[in-house]
Amino acid sequence: MVNLTINGKQVAVEKDATIYDAAKACGIKIPILCHDKKLHPFGGCRMCLVEVEQMKGRLIPACTTPVTEGMIVQTTTDEIVKARKLVLELLLLKHPIDCPVCDAAGDCDLQNLTYEYKVNMNRFVDEKFNHEIDYENPLIERDMNRCIHCGKCARICDEIVSYGAYTFINRGIEAKMGTEFDGPLNCEFCGSCVSVCPVGALNSRPFKFKARWWALQKTKSVCSYCGTGCQLTLGSKDGKVLTTIYDENQGFHNGQLCTRGRFGYQFVNSDKRLTTPLVRKNGKLQEATWEEALAEVTSRLSAGKSDPASVAALATPRLTNEELFLLEKVFRGTIGTDNIDHSAGFAHEALTKGAVASFGVAASPSEIADIQKSNLLLVVKSDAYETHPVIGFEINLGVKRKGVAIRIVSDKKGKLTRLPGAKTTVHTPGSEVALFNALCKSVIDQGLVAEGVAGLDALKAAVADATAEKAGVTAEEIAAVAKDYATAEKALIILPIGLGYPGHNAALASAAANLAILTGKIGKEGSGLLIMGEKNNSQGAVDMGIYPKGTGLAASAIIDGCANGNVKTLFVAGENPVVSYPNRKKVEKALENVEFMVVADLFLTETAALADVVLPACSFAEKNGTFTSLGRRVQNVRKAIPAVGLAKTDFEILNALSQALGGARYNNQGEVFTEIAATVPAYKGLSQAGLKDEGAVYPVAVAAKLVPVQAKTAAPAAGKLAMVTGSALYHCGTMSRFGEGPMYVCPDAYAELNVADASALKIAEGDQVTVTSATGAVQVAAKVGKRVPQGVVFSPYHFGEGSVNTITDGAEVTYVTVAKK
Amino acid sequence: MSNAPAEEIPAEEIDLTEANEVIDKYLTLPGNLMPVLQGIQEAYGYVPKPTIDLVAERLNVYPSQIYGVLTFYAQFHLKPRGRFIIRVCVGTACHVQGAERITETFFGRLGIGHAETTADLRYTFEKVACLGACGMAPLAMVNDDTFGKMTVQKVDEIIETYNARPMK
Repeated sequence: MVNLTINGKQVAVEKDATIYDAAKACGIKIPILCHDKKLHPFGGCRMCLVEVEQMKGRLIPACTTPVTEGMIVQTTTDEIVKARKLVLELLLLKHPIDCPVCDAAGDCDLQNLTYEYKVNMNRFVDEKFNHEIDYENPLIERDMNRCIHCGKCARICDEIVSYGAYTFINRGIEAKMGTEFDGPLNCEFCGSCVSVCPVGALNSRPFKFKARWWALQKTKSVCSYCGTGCQLTLGSKDGKVLTTIYDENQGFHNGQLCTRGRFGYQFVNSDKRLTTPLVRKNGKLQEATWEEALAEVTSRLSAGKSDPASVAALATPRLTNEELFLLEKVFRGTIGTDNIDHSAGFAHEALTKGAVASFGVAASPSEIADIQKSNLLLVVKSDAYETHPVIGFEINLGVKRKGVAIRIVSDKKGKLTRLPGAKTTVHTPGSEVALFNALCKSVIDQGLVAEGVAGLDALKAAVADATAEKAGVTAEEIAAVAKDYATAEKALIILPIGLGYPGHNAALASAAANLAILTGKIGKEGSGLLIMGEKNNSQGAVDMGIYPKGTGLAASAIIDGCANGNVKTLFVAGENPVVSYPNRKKVEKALENVEFMVVADLFLTETAALADVVLPACSFAEKNGTFTSLGRRVQNVRKAIPAVGLAKTDFEILNALSQALGGARYNNQGEVFTEIAATVPAYKGLSQAGLKDEGAVYPVAVAAKLVPVQAKTAAPAAGKLAMVTGSALYHCGTMSRFGEGPMYVCPDAYAELNVADASALKIAEGDQVTVTSATGAVQVAAKVGKRVPQGVVFSPYHFGEGSVNTITDGAEVTYVTVAKK
Repeated sequence: MSNAPAEEIPAEEIDLTEANEVIDKYLTLPGNLMPVLQGIQEAYGYVPKPTIDLVAERLNVYPSQIYGVLTFYAQFHLKPRGRFIIRVCVGTACHVQGAERITETFFGRLGIGHAETTADLRYTFEKVACLGACGMAPLAMVNDDTFGKMTVQKVDEIIETYNARPMK
């Protein structure tokens, strides 16, 4: 620790702190324009000038000057104030005084400092800038006339997002914050630049002219897209969520969000939201009262009580823990059916089964914080970035700032493969398990097995014939990855799972766990396995028991049950099987066949359109509760706006049903959480109030053991391309289709081909192509690039139109032909 | 700060062989961006847009950053330049000796202004702040050739001389 005096106050700080950090620590505010907690110090704006007694004679920037022992600092002498006023005058010389129409008014550091330092006149005169404003995209407006050259946008885009859209261009008086070739912004549209811009140079276009900053009601909540569990602050007014507000002190991610979190919230206010219950009469869905709709559902479900096996429920892992717990209670407890599942039956087996088999708990043994504490990251699929972009930011930071090594095993290349020192092993699609088995064998062959690993012989036998060739890679590549991984002091495997990844199942989780256990990488900080659930509450759904436990039917079997008549009543809470489950035709037929289906959802989805009763449900912004992130952090979700129309929360719906069916009745969702804390062992001792803003990571007791798994190798089909499905960076599940932001950046399904394949098939970027498999055919636009290797097609699964599940059937790889339409 | 719109860079198809050779030469060197860009300019006479994309891809640098470097250093050019670069000094000594008339004469004879290139790519004209030979003011240079004590007549002589030179 270093001791220094600031404005007469004694303060002790870490030795790598700056004067700015030290002042902040003892509650002294130093004005700043170019500084952000997450970014490297820049020292460009000169607002933070202070006086240090030992360095008499000049003013020094507080944000770039490290503290030294015995330093005596003054932060507000007459000379300092004079200097700061000059800085402001010089900034205001070029800066337009258009605060009345600027969206940043009220949230503008320059405006606030001008007010604070009473700069009410300017001694200088000059011509204002006349840069053209970039309105080329509907999400981010760039008005470089207001730019003060703090460089924050360029720094965040480089240091954290790793996209590098911005840079200083030109020189001297002509310098400006520009893009490549000074063109319009063409990037991921994560909005990180908008969030850190201290003035109104970068604005969110969807928020433009919606509200003045000070009129917004701010509610801290949790993002409802992926499983990362980013905290966000919703800015709402007049019952509408209008924006998300940046707070560098919020969450493990320091307020950082991706394009979905930042620009995807509009689904909450979408005019496509369901506002009233619908009941099918004469074959048509017609508006009905809640009493009527609930009466019908209740009578069907109570009839099911005498034949519980004929009742099934599918829930989305987007509901709160309280809602999922209540759903489990109603269906398993009151009605008595074990036919309960979420997409686990298709894609989350890695969590529900694999983790249990290998670690004894249905959760990741590691946390998100382990990423930056590790020495080496082994990322399965390049898409860890696309499925969970903020985890991607953590990986970027780990690699670029902390020097964490990165190895990627994937069936295609992605953004992570361009990180410094990244080495990517591209394997054949669907061979992930074979690849991990080959890695395990290589670890054994190279004599790198950790001491005292139990069950080694069984694993040895299981991987005896595992070869690199089976995964389509060379023995040298496998040996190198195995050696790097095994010899790293701390190494973390990152495994994304989700509906788009049919091969990421229990076997893969165990195969990956074997490698970690074999090399002693479990139970240490910065080591282990991070299984990344796809949806915001995937972990919560597992914790609340939303999967068949005994003889119950899993999601795929529920669909089969609907088709063959064994399941007569189906309750769907927020799931959209028609678009997201494999084999759309089969799912549609099954759901049309089921006697009675009720769907509670925000929108009239493709699935809801087939229902007998549709119940309008509330979005995350309209309810209180908790979500559990993939890092096992239980966090408070808070109500920001009243329910849209007559919509009710899933808690209200389930509570009403529970009561009507003779089950429990709760006064509020908080009572359910109390019961969760009392009955779910991991949540013991938690209370919603106790979670506060930061949430709580529940502990897991891991009992790791080797679980040998056999690799299934799909035989390649001659003359066909291997299609892998997955997530597009801008989307998550099928809900993001109702967000303006994601739909602007990525509005339609596509098939991504390698340039060589595309030219052989005479397909150009943007061509409409027909992708045909044994299951069906779908028409999508072609994308041509170098990300996917030759012989492979990639397609995201989120879309209702051109929906990829028309051609997939749940196999790891779908062999397809692609032809120009 | 200039209020002029950004320079537009023409899209074109060029042979990237030479650019690839330059990159190969420096690929493993740390801090290789400057020599690579200089090498490319040496080979093509300027830095064509497709080579920027190539450098970005092969050196794993953001294209925006390369553009930032290219627009920062006066030595780089993003548009094709003439075979002969005429530079006229407009520094203090040259200015008082009538540099303005010299530049105006060049403008009139060549039909181009400052930082412009003739359509046949024979000449590029640039006003420069100082060429460091005030004793010879007013001063002009064509590539590495120096012309001191410039007069309007000498402008015509220079143009005649270089009109007669081959383009390669």
